[in-house]
Parts: sequence; structure tokens; C-alpha cells
Amino acid sequence: MSGAAAASKGRATHASHAALLAVFGTLLFFLARKVPEAHGAMGVIAGFGFLLVAGTLVSEMVAPLGLPHLTGYLVAGIASGPHVLGLVDEHTVKSLSPVNTLALCLIALAGGAELDLASVRRGARSLAWAQLVQTTAVFGALGGTFIASRSLIPFARTLPVGALIAVALLWGSLAVSRSPSATLGILSQTRATGPVASFTLAFVMASDVIVVVLVATVLGSVRSLIDPAASFSLGSFTTLGHELFGSVAIGTTLGLVIAAYLRLVNRQMLVVLLALGFGVSTVLEYLRFDSLLTFMVAGFIVRNMSNQGGKFVEYIEQTGTVVYVVFFAIAGADLDVPLLRSLWPAALILSAARAAVTWGASRAAARLAGDSPMLLRWGWSGLVSQAGLTLGLSLLIAREFPSFGTAFRALVIATVAINEMVGPVLFKFGLDRTGETRAGSQSFPSMRPPSP
Amino acid sequence: MNAVWLLMALLVLSYLGSFLVAGRSARGVGLPSGVEYAALGFVLGPRALDLVGSETLAAFEPVVQVALGWLAFALGLDFGFAGERRVRGESLALGTLGALVTGGAVAAATWITARRFHFGATGTERVLLAGGIGAACAETTRYAVRWVVERHGARGPLADRLNELAHADDLLPLFAVAVLFALEPTRSVAVQAPLRDWPALTVGMGALLGAGAALLMRSELRTEDAWGLLFGVALIGIGASARLGLSTLTVSFFAGLAASVLSRHGRELRAMVAPTERPVLLPALLLAGARLDFRASDALPWIAAAAIVARIVAKVVIGWAVAAAAPPARKGGVLVGLSLLSSGALSMSIGLVFALRFPGAVGDTVLVVAVLSATVGEFVGPVRLRRTLRMAGEIEAAPGSAASGART
Repeated sequence: MSGAAAASKGRATHASHAALLAVFGTLLFFLARKVPEAHGAMGVIAGFGFLLVAGTLVSEMVAPLGLPHLTGYLVAGIASGPHVLGLVDEHTVKSLSPVNTLALCLIALAGGAELDLASVRRGARSLAWAQLVQTTAVFGALGGTFIASRSLIPFARTLPVGALIAVALLWGSLAVSRSPSATLGILSQTRATGPVASFTLAFVMASDVIVVVLVATVLGSVRSLIDPAASFSLGSFTTLGHELFGSVAIGTTLGLVIAAYLRLVNRQMLVVLLALGFGVSTVLEYLRFDSLLTFMVAGFIVRNMSNQGGKFVEYIEQTGTVVYVVFFAIAGADLDVPLLRSLWPAALILSAARAAVTWGASRAAARLAGDSPMLLRWGWSGLVSQAGLTLGLSLLIAREFPSFGTAFRALVIATVAINEMVGPVLFKFGLDRTGETRAGSQSFPSMRPPSP
Repeated sequence: MNAVWLLMALLVLSYLGSFLVAGRSARGVGLPSGVEYAALGFVLGPRALDLVGSETLAAFEPVVQVALGWLAFALGLDFGFAGERRVRGESLALGTLGALVTGGAVAAATWITARRFHFGATGTERVLLAGGIGAACAETTRYAVRWVVERHGARGPLADRLNELAHADDLLPLFAVAVLFALEPTRSVAVQAPLRDWPALTVGMGALLGAGAALLMRSELRTEDAWGLLFGVALIGIGASARLGLSTLTVSFFAGLAASVLSRHGRELRAMVAPTERPVLLPALLLAGARLDFRASDALPWIAAAAIVARIVAKVVIGWAVAAAAPPARKGGVLVGLSLLSSGALSMSIGLVFALRFPGAVGDTVLVVAVLSATVGEFVGPVRLRRTLRMAGEIEAAPGSAASGART
């Protein structure tokens, strides 16, 4: 088939997909109007299905533009969410939160399982410099930007100097966080392998731990600046230490169990992954361990302490793709568009500043570490995304400081919205430019039939 | 038992179910109808040990709807096919006739018994009860024939014919469910339509969704995306139909049927979805069992007895029709129809959707009768089928066959 014919066929396919999406959307629209709130759970099921179909189709439609699938999932979620078309209401978005639990489990397992100890060791110098420079630069510069742009931030205008500095430090600590989910989402789609992909993955996974420690430290330190009656306490560090070491210990055990299962049984991994995602996550939450870290360590152990890593990643990718579509579509639907509209000037400045500092810090760290030109040029591209982890930490801050917490979180949500949309596009662009992306997976209908 | 533990238990069941599908080594384990999982559910449920309470069951209602919808979707994809082969037109007609005669006889017997024992406050309730039980008892489970054929290595024209019949009798009961659901539209739906329009809407929605799925599957997709689209379309159908008070089973069945008929990749779709049936079925049966209420009404024992006897008689009659139309069936003897007495997944699924849609005496009675009918079928159907195939010379009489047969 000629290029023009293929392009024409592609356009026809996209047009038919768009028409079908409109039909399904009309059905949901009709349901939302004619059967209001009578069967909440059934609306959730239809909403789940629609997000799955819409995310998959929109991701295919944006692919010719060079945009990642993840952007398609987010766009589908935003468009069908409560603030735009209203096909998926807020109740549905909240009710689908268990999908997030499962997705985060799979993301962390895959993230850990993609980390090869040998390549981490080889890139240890790069990673160490990058973590040091990025953390210091982003923390300091974004804190400064927050103070500088306080006139655009309603709640910051009235804060006394001490409190303003405290809030700026909190902002700086949150700005250091990255998005493991976006990183894994892009890597899962592009199946990229190479220095930029490996560096980004290792950096983002390690920064998860650094951010948790940094936020806990800043939280403990700035309390007295905001509330003069408060005193510095080491209690939170004891809890944090317990959480981190406990998570590593449980993750190690879990990783060994998974490796043994893969070696001895190696069947029905879909059910096993579901059990891990729902059952083990619940137990970890009950025991107050960090599930993201636990699963990441488990994946890392499977990869590096057994020869089951490749197989394990393949299983996760098979299960994960469907889950990721809904996970990111929910994230899109959950995006507070009116809030973004009201806070966009401040959010835009803060996001742009963060991206610029990330870019500069990446180049500086790469020079200090003597990295390859490719890493020097594109190493920053995967570090702009922010998502669930940042939002989770902002919720913690909002709870700790109710006086400004809600407004602070609103600004975080607006900023994350921008980073969530722009970051994956930049990462995909960087991977494409370095030539690390590669051909896709087995396709329907040429897939092999399931084994008997 | 809280929701997480129940979810884990269901995952364990699903895990076991997937082994039953995939493992040749596991052949010989379990019953074709899966009625033992319903029994386990009853034991764990609120009316026995109460380990799975009523509130937990209510919380899992959406999961049940999804499981039932997905099973019906798989059934629709597979309708008219026995394994890789297309079912012959003659078998399709005989299977549909069989479902009509069996369902009709059971419904009539139930209606007469219900009226005799003053069941229900209104005529509509009696019609729903009779129709629901008729629809639930009309089918022959595909698993029973397949299991006997596989366990005993049966080969021959009669085994093929019976297998085809078991694959061709689902259409009518599912359409009947759509009609019955239309008798009492959900009050929350702000749409007024004549009674005759609701079944058409049910079938139309399923066909539209299936056609959509077929259209989506035309293009070259990653396997994961194909799964996403198929599952997504099925979920839209399940959610939308349940919300409108339509039969999720019927909508999903017709969606699967339309996708299978209209897609160029029907064979691949069937190969994709078939292995998921058993892992989804077992948890659904457990939850169905947990809902069983043997005290649903005073008339229940009589209604159950009437329905089961009517079903047995109807199947014997159908056997004669099969023997008249297909010469190999004549070798199976005068009671060849009893070979088709096994019911299971679809039967209990219909019982369960009735219990969910019409909570109370009507729904609970339909569910109990569906499970009892499957239990009786389990004792009679496979044994009779084995004997029929042996009489037809399609199973070799081996010294160990009696022992292995006792397990069936």
C-alpha cells in the first residue's frame, strides 16, 4: 500500500473511531440525563468502560502527531470528565480509586523490575550527581520562585515573612518530586531502551525515596515558622525510618516469593498481580508501610536476585496496559479545570520555572559526572512530569496546615496538571530524538492463540 | 468477612478456575455445572455460616453484574460454534426448539403451581416467576457435553450432534429474559416506552455495541489495546443496561454475537475470550450461592418440584425430536433426551440476574430453582450422556470406565 493510501486509510479509521466514540458518548450522556443517580455503581461500570475505550482510541488518534499514548489517555479523561462533557461524573471518578491502587502497584513493580543492578552501578556516578544537583537546585530555585511570584498567589499575599518562607520551602520540596507513573507509562508504550531511558527510570525511582525524606524533613522544620507555638520533633523521623526500612524488608521478602512463584509455577500471573495490587496493598496500608517503595523493591529483587525479571516485566506489561489507560484517564477526569483556569498564571510560572531549572540542573549534573552528550542533551526530558506522588504529598501538607492547606493544594493541583500534560510529551520527544524507542508488541489479530 | 477478604477469596477461586480451564492435568476435578461452588457460597453466605454477610454481598453486586455480563458476552461470541466448527443449521433449529419446548413446559408448570399455591400478589409477579424459571431451565450447559466427551474420549456423530445442541440453545432464554424485564421497567428511568419496545431496545443496544466492537477490531491493534477495547465495550453495555433496568445478560450476549458475526476476526476473538470464562464463572457462582434463600416462599418446594419434573419430561420429548431428525441419536435409546439434562452457568446466571433485578420472593425463588435444577441435572445428565454415547458405540467400554464415570 502506498504512503498516501495508508494515510487515507489511517484517516478513515480514525474517523470511524471518532464516530463510534461519539455514539458511546451519546449513550452515556443520555444515561446521565435520564437515569440520574439511581444506580450509582452501574454508572461507575459504564464510566470505567467508556474511559477504557475513549483512552485507547484517543491515544491512537494522537499518535500520528508524535504525542505519547499517555497524553491521549489524559485528554480522553479530561474531555469526558465532570468539568467538560460530564459523561463521567465525580462519583465515578472517586469510585474508581481502587484502579489507582492497582496501577501504582504495577507501576512500582515494573519500575523496580526494570532497574538492572549492573546498569545502576555503571550509572551510579551520573545518578548521584543528578540527584544532588537536581534536588538542591529545584528545591532552592522553586522556593525562590514561589516567593517571587507571591503577588499572583492569593493565599501567599497575606502571609507574614516567616510563614511565606516556610510555605516556599514546602513548595520547593514538592517540586523535587517526579512521576514514576508517567515515566513507566511512556516506557511501557515506547519500549525504549538506552541510556536516557535507564537513567530516567533509575533517577525517578530513587527520587521517590529522596522526596519522601525531604518532605518529612521540611515538614518537621518549618512547623515552628508557621505556628510559633509548635516545637521541633524527631518523632516523625522515627516513624519515617520505620516506614522506609519496613518497606524495604517486606519488599525484599515479597520479591523472593514472586521469584519463587515464577520459577516453580509461572501461571495465572494476572490473578497473582490482582491479588498483589488489591490484597497486599491493603495489608501494607494497614501496617503503614509505603506500598510504592515495597513493590519497587520487590520488582528490583525479582530482576536482580533471580533470572525471572524479563518474564515478570512482560507479565506486568500485559496486565498493566489496560490498567494504565484507566489510571491516566481517571487522572485526566479528576483534573480540576475550573481551578486551573483561575490559577493558571501562577501555575504556569511555577511549572515553567521548574522545567527550566530541571533542564539547567540536568546539564550541570551531566557535565560534573562526565556523561555522554546524549544524556547531557536529553537527560532532563523525563524529569518534568509530576502526578500522583506529588498530589499525595500535597494532601499530607494540606492536612498538617489547615490554615492555608486547601489553597496550597489547589495550586499544587494546577501545577501538576500542567506538568502532567507537558512532561510525558517532552519525555517521548526526548526518547524519539535519541532513537531509544523501538517497535511495538504483539498485535491483534496476529497474536498467538492462548495456550490450552 | 470484609470486602477485601471476599475479593481475595474470589481471586483464589478465579485462580482455581483458570487452572481448570488450562490444565489438562486438572481434568476430572469439579462438576460440569459448577454447582459445588454455589453450594460453597451458600455455606459461607448469610443464611448458613454468615462469613459473607448481606452487606458484603450488596457491595459486590456490581462485580456480579460485570461477571455475568462478561460471561454472556463470551457466550454470545461463541454462539453457533462448537469449538472451532460452526454449528449446523439443523442443530441450531433443534437447539432453539428444545429451549422453547423445555422453557415453555417449565414455565407452564411453574405458573400452574404458583397459582395453585397463591404465589405473588399480582399476575405480573406470577408471570415473572414462571417466565424466569422457564428461561433459567431451558438450556443445556455446554460444559457437560464437552466434559464427558473429553473425559471419555467420545468421538462420533451423536457426540457431535449433542455438543452442537448444547451450543445452540442459549438465544431464546436470553431473549425471554429481556421480555420479562420489560414487564416491570425500572421506576428511576425517565423514559416512557411501550412494553414491546424494551426487548427491541435491549437487543438493539447489544447489537450496536457488538457492531462497534467489530468495527474497532478491524484495525491492527496491540493485543493489550484489543483487550482494552473489548472489555471497555462490554463494560459500557453492562453498566448502561443495568442502569436502564434492561437485562445485562441479553445486552452482553447480543453484543458478543454481533461482534462474532460482524468481525473478520471472530475466531481470534473467541480464542481470546474463551479462557476467561471459567475464571469469571466460579466467583460468580460462589456469590450466587451466597444469595440462596430456601425460605424465599412457602410454595418454593412445590414450584421447584413442578419445574424440575416438567424439565425432565420436556427433555425426554426433545430427545425424541432429536432422534427423529438425526438418525445417530436413535442409537442412544428412548431416553436420549436426558443426556441434555445438565444445566449450569447460564441457568444460574439467569437465576442470579432475576435475584438482583427482582429482590424478594420472585427473584429468590427463580435463583433457588435454577440451582436445584442444575443440581438434579448434574446427577442425571452426565451419567445418562455417558450411557447414551456408550450405546451408540462412541465411547469404548473400558475396565476402568465405571470408576471414572462415578466421578462425573
